[in-house]
Amino acid sequence: MNSSLSSLYLFQSVFNPLNSFTRLAGNTPAPGRVLMRFTLWLLLLPPLFSWIGGYLFGWRLGAAEPLMFPAATLTLISAAYFVILVFGFVTTAIISRWMAATYGASDAAGLHFALIGIVGEPLALASAAHLFPDVFFNVLVMIPAMIWSMYLLYTGIPVVLGIPPERGMLMASALVGWLLVAAVSLLGLTMGLWVAGIGPALAV
Amino acid sequence: MSGMSLHKKLEENAGLLIFGILFVSAIGGLVQVLPAILQDSLNTASANARVYNAVELTGRDIYIREGCSVCHSQQVRPLIAEVERYGPYSQAGEFVYDRPFLWGSKRTGPDLHRIGGKYSDDWHRIHLIDPRSVVPRSIMPGYPWLAERDVKTSDIQAKLRALQLLGHPYEQADIDAAPGQLEGMKEIDALIVYLQMLGSFHAEDSADGHSENQSGAH
Amino acid sequence: MATGQKYYYDEIVRQLVLFSVFWAVVAMAVGVYISAELIWPTIDFGQPWLSFGRLRPLHTNGIIFGFGVSALMATGFYSVQRTSHVPLFAPRLAWFVCYGWQLLILLGGLSLLAGWTSSKEYAELEWPFDIAIAILWVSFGIVFFGTIATRTIKPIYISNWFYGALIIVIAMLHIVNNLAIPVSLTKSYSIYAGAQDAIVQWWYGHNAVGFLLTGGFLGMMYYFLPKHSGRPIWSYKLSVVAFWAFTYSYIWAGPHHLHYSAIPEWVQSLAVVMSLILLAPSWATMVNGVMTVSGAWQKLKTDPALKFIVLSLAFYGLATFEGPMMSIRAVNVVSHFTDWTIGHVHSGALGWNAMITYGTFYFLMPRLVGAELYSVRLANIHFWLALGGTMLYIISMWAAGVSQGLLWLSVDETGELSYSFSDIMASMAPYYALRLVAGLVFLLGTMLMAYNFYMTVRGRATVKMQPPAVDPVYGMTSEDATVGALRVGTLGAST
Repeated sequence: MNSSLSSLYLFQSVFNPLNSFTRLAGNTPAPGRVLMRFTLWLLLLPPLFSWIGGYLFGWRLGAAEPLMFPAATLTLISAAYFVILVFGFVTTAIISRWMAATYGASDAAGLHFALIGIVGEPLALASAAHLFPDVFFNVLVMIPAMIWSMYLLYTGIPVVLGIPPERGMLMASALVGWLLVAAVSLLGLTMGLWVAGIGPALAV
Repeated sequence: MSGMSLHKKLEENAGLLIFGILFVSAIGGLVQVLPAILQDSLNTASANARVYNAVELTGRDIYIREGCSVCHSQQVRPLIAEVERYGPYSQAGEFVYDRPFLWGSKRTGPDLHRIGGKYSDDWHRIHLIDPRSVVPRSIMPGYPWLAERDVKTSDIQAKLRALQLLGHPYEQADIDAAPGQLEGMKEIDALIVYLQMLGSFHAEDSADGHSENQSGAH
Repeated sequence: MATGQKYYYDEIVRQLVLFSVFWAVVAMAVGVYISAELIWPTIDFGQPWLSFGRLRPLHTNGIIFGFGVSALMATGFYSVQRTSHVPLFAPRLAWFVCYGWQLLILLGGLSLLAGWTSSKEYAELEWPFDIAIAILWVSFGIVFFGTIATRTIKPIYISNWFYGALIIVIAMLHIVNNLAIPVSLTKSYSIYAGAQDAIVQWWYGHNAVGFLLTGGFLGMMYYFLPKHSGRPIWSYKLSVVAFWAFTYSYIWAGPHHLHYSAIPEWVQSLAVVMSLILLAPSWATMVNGVMTVSGAWQKLKTDPALKFIVLSLAFYGLATFEGPMMSIRAVNVVSHFTDWTIGHVHSGALGWNAMITYGTFYFLMPRLVGAELYSVRLANIHFWLALGGTMLYIISMWAAGVSQGLLWLSVDETGELSYSFSDIMASMAPYYALRLVAGLVFLLGTMLMAYNFYMTVRGRATVKMQPPAVDPVYGMTSEDATVGALRVGTLGAST
């Protein structure tokens, strides 16, 4: 099991997925390496972009004036965002690994870490939309990014984890179930943070 | 495992299964719902609560008929922003004569529980017939037919008697006078009378305003 | 009962499936229309019967009672016969239920357009219809439990517990919540008032979702998933524990629809706790389904319907997680009264209910007429339309709901409200536009399915199938039938 020194091919998955998948299946990198050389950089993007966009433009939810925040609040929000994303990534990779046995897939941790990172990359890149934090605009940008992410998930699992496409479909669908739960948890956690005072002021 | 062998009996006997389901599903209702709805605080009128008179009741029934509660709630929550936007939060004692309750579950339009007296009768009339003439970006549908239809007088006495049966303190005189009070009225008039009294049952120092049945935001 | 000469009563099943599909198209079209009304409010053309307030209950009742109940009756009748190894008990009563129910939906729907409504959600139909529902429902129960009582196989299979719970609990809820004093044929007053009425209504409303939309369809899953995938249910013990935990805990969760309202706080808090506890049996059942289908992966190559089932389980997981999450006060304070609630409803209704029904119907319909599905390609296209429509609906309503909730509660530094209600309302328009597209996409997929079924059944009679002879191992004469009988896939030629 040699860990590739260059993780560039992982980043390139967004443009040339099959190449990246095949190479990943052959390389089996160490999970720590995947995190430090690949995923962590992707996970930094949304909090960074949202900080900049929030500072320059404020949150625009369509109703006349935008919601502006002091820099300290924006930093707190971005920090929480980053933590939640890292937590979400790690748990998704672990759950994917846990599911592997049911579908006869490889349970090499590095493969799952890399695969989930690849699947998330379109969304991480699309988070550039946070530079202009209009909710509807972000929704419109995220939809095609999400479709691309799902495509990477369904095509990547069989190749990277070494199982037939049909088995991959079932495993990917189980992961989609988890991802939906993770997405709605993100909403719920966000509400909790806002009510606790981290984020926009809610007069509850 | 004795649990499983007990279950084997259940799943081989249709009668036991039916009884088991009924018993298990009834527990929640008996322990949670029944004591809750018998609780005094829900059945004690607030200081200013009173029965709806014939016109108000008619207006309320039109509100129900047109599905207003599909878009408008009547439940101001004890939240700072909500009290600021709508008025004092809604208390159980205000609703003791509401059959059925009209708290709603969605705010496509604003909450209406404190709408009484906020706008003139004329404003309501114009707004109900064509909302966009007073609120340009409104998505509320118009109700022009309300201005054309006469209020139905034939069933008001049966309504009051039915409510009397359920404990609403109507006098016989109220019931006798009711059809006359509706004479010559259009539906829109009755509805506006109802809307204009919404919120008037609120009482500042009512006994049921305790934290026992109100919750802050936790 | 001489099984040699009798056949299963599957003509009723076929009719109910077709009626279910019919109501799906009609009620979803109404849904699309009202979502358009939220963008262009003048498309009611000044007509009371086209007004949003009257059409919305037409949509909800049409889906739940038209589409949903017809599907549950169809699959319930199909599966109870085969798990009992006898034809339906009282077949004439079953036909009465079939056609009586459709007439009820039709007339009830018209009554809603006329404005005869109690305004209580999913219980809007006035008292004459409530009585008709009770009569039809009791008849449904007689046919269903009668078939079980006359079965020739000892254990009662788990799908029948869920359908049974559906029948029993809905009867209890319906009767108690609709108690009213009639004033005329078209109007009555609830015997409950105010906060009391609210608690009873949401005990009903939440558990109508729980036992009809969740429990009933779990019954569908427990029978059809093993049949469809050719694999037995993964864990019997899990299904037992989950069923009773589910039946017990769902009932308590109703008041989470009433957070921060004028009902007592202890009722609200109890509802939160039970809603969270409810997550366990809900997900246990989902795990059972996912593990069962995980062994059937080879069928995915040729079977378009299995994809519907697989994704329906994912959305079931979402909806049954989102519900308890939204019942937590910190989340509810932002989500209540917003479009997030609508999004939650539809993640369940489109993602779980519709998709598992569609998958089951695609499996069932060809078998009922003994022919191949007219077009596998159309079924595959339908799958993508259903998935896309569902996801777009959920995303647009999440965005709208969170925005609304946040904006309603926003105050500036001086403590003044930051936004007027009408400003907030106007900013929802783009999300309503996305949702309209989502609905159209989903409706289109449903219509493709309707066409596919029409072409499949056209000119073909329903296949006559006989119950098997009394099984020497699992039949009523057996001592030890439990474990083996649950392996439905091994019960010989009986489908």
